[in-house]
Amino acid sequence: MNNPYEVLGVSPNATDEEIKKAYRNLAKKYHPDNYADSPLADVAEQKMKEVNEAYDEINRMRQKGRGTGSQSSGSYSGAQNSKYYSVRIYIQRNMIAEAERILDEAPASERDAEWHFLKGMCAYRKGFNEQANQYFTTACNMDPNNQEYRTAVNNMNRQRSYGYGGYTANPDASVTGCTICDICSAIMCVNCLCNCCRSGF
Amino acid sequence: MFGYLQIHKDELKVKEYEAYKSVYCGLCKQLGKDYGILSRLILSYDCTFYAVMLMSLDRSCTGFHDGRCRFNPLKKCKFADCRGDAYSKAAALSVISAYYKILDDINDSGFFRRAACRIVKPAFHRREKKASKRYPEIDNIVREMMQNQQKAESDPDVTVDSAADPTAKMISGIISLEAKDDIQRRVLSEVGYHIGRWIYLTDAADDIEKDKKHNNFNPFVKSGKCDQEYISSVLNQSLARAYDAYNLLDIIDFKPIIENMLIYGFPNKQNAVLNKQQEVKDEQSL
Repeated sequence: MNNPYEVLGVSPNATDEEIKKAYRNLAKKYHPDNYADSPLADVAEQKMKEVNEAYDEINRMRQKGRGTGSQSSGSYSGAQNSKYYSVRIYIQRNMIAEAERILDEAPASERDAEWHFLKGMCAYRKGFNEQANQYFTTACNMDPNNQEYRTAVNNMNRQRSYGYGGYTANPDASVTGCTICDICSAIMCVNCLCNCCRSGF
Repeated sequence: MFGYLQIHKDELKVKEYEAYKSVYCGLCKQLGKDYGILSRLILSYDCTFYAVMLMSLDRSCTGFHDGRCRFNPLKKCKFADCRGDAYSKAAALSVISAYYKILDDINDSGFFRRAACRIVKPAFHRREKKASKRYPEIDNIVREMMQNQQKAESDPDVTVDSAADPTAKMISGIISLEAKDDIQRRVLSEVGYHIGRWIYLTDAADDIEKDKKHNNFNPFVKSGKCDQEYISSVLNQSLARAYDAYNLLDIIDFKPIIENMLIYGFPNKQNAVLNKQQEVKDEQSL
């Protein structure tokens, strides 16, 4: 794979916020919707895949650098040999009632981080955001090194701060007086007028 | 319904605003035609949103024509033409939801409002019957929601999630009636669920002070978390999930209008509600 930073078009020193922004812009750009009827649909899909892989790769690298180091990557492969394998399959197939039934059968003493995470997944699929938030946070607190749980919590937080377009939490911020653009265009106008006068002589 | 599903006019192009208004006027005309001149009074932004969505989904808007407003004959207005049943469905939903709203008000409002609702109830019931004959599936979904809502609110373990669930499921059910295939049904149902949840919770946030005073049920009061920051994050998430799901739809007609609502209109309304709530609190603390 190419250098993930190059794929996203950011420098390796970029902050997490910058990377997220670059990723978001690219994801928007290559979104399948934009190419629904286009003969380039497959190209867009490929691009999207590359961008996703690059973003995941950067996140993984940075997480490793920050965390305790040795343990963190091991937890990611836990999905396959997990004791809740069937629950994961049910969730994947959107059979939430079955998944919840198995989870609820687990005795209270065996309810570990993964149990909380999967309960959160069920709630999230149903649209019960508040419940999901609690379970994800609990899972993350019980096992702070697990990338999967952390991603879920981060995703919740992203949605809760609603970064799309025009939303501003502070109503005053939407009132703009004189922007940089206004100043520039004013200077350009003045410049034009001055040139007019000069050419007249 | 509640009138929260509005556009944000400042961010629309003039032609898009005209198009939106012409659907609004078209729906008003349809209400008059189907259910009599008085039912034009129950015209709402929510049902206009529904009409816009329907026309966009089945691509049934064929153009616009000039006309005059029935209530103000001096005012010229445009009407959007539609070859499908988007208008008549939206009119039916207006009538049906207005009737169930009145039933709900009779159950839990003050003496005068209750008396007023009792007086107008038969007129609404007649119209609701007519609408439910045409679209029984819509009537069933709304009726089921009313029953589930009462059940959810009287449950001792009620949470923010479970209280919002009936309304969310209602919008989800109504909007996914339009699906053309299974995948679209899943997407529409997701969009509807989160918009419905947002409507219910925005309404709940709007009523916090009132419900506290009259000791009525309110999910935020019940959960003990009424601060503005928490409520706004809950509402944000619903809008975000609705928008994410919406992005998987292939919307062509009225796209700028629908996106304006999701990105500017609804958050704008949400801010208005939350800031109003903040003002009330400030007054009390002064």
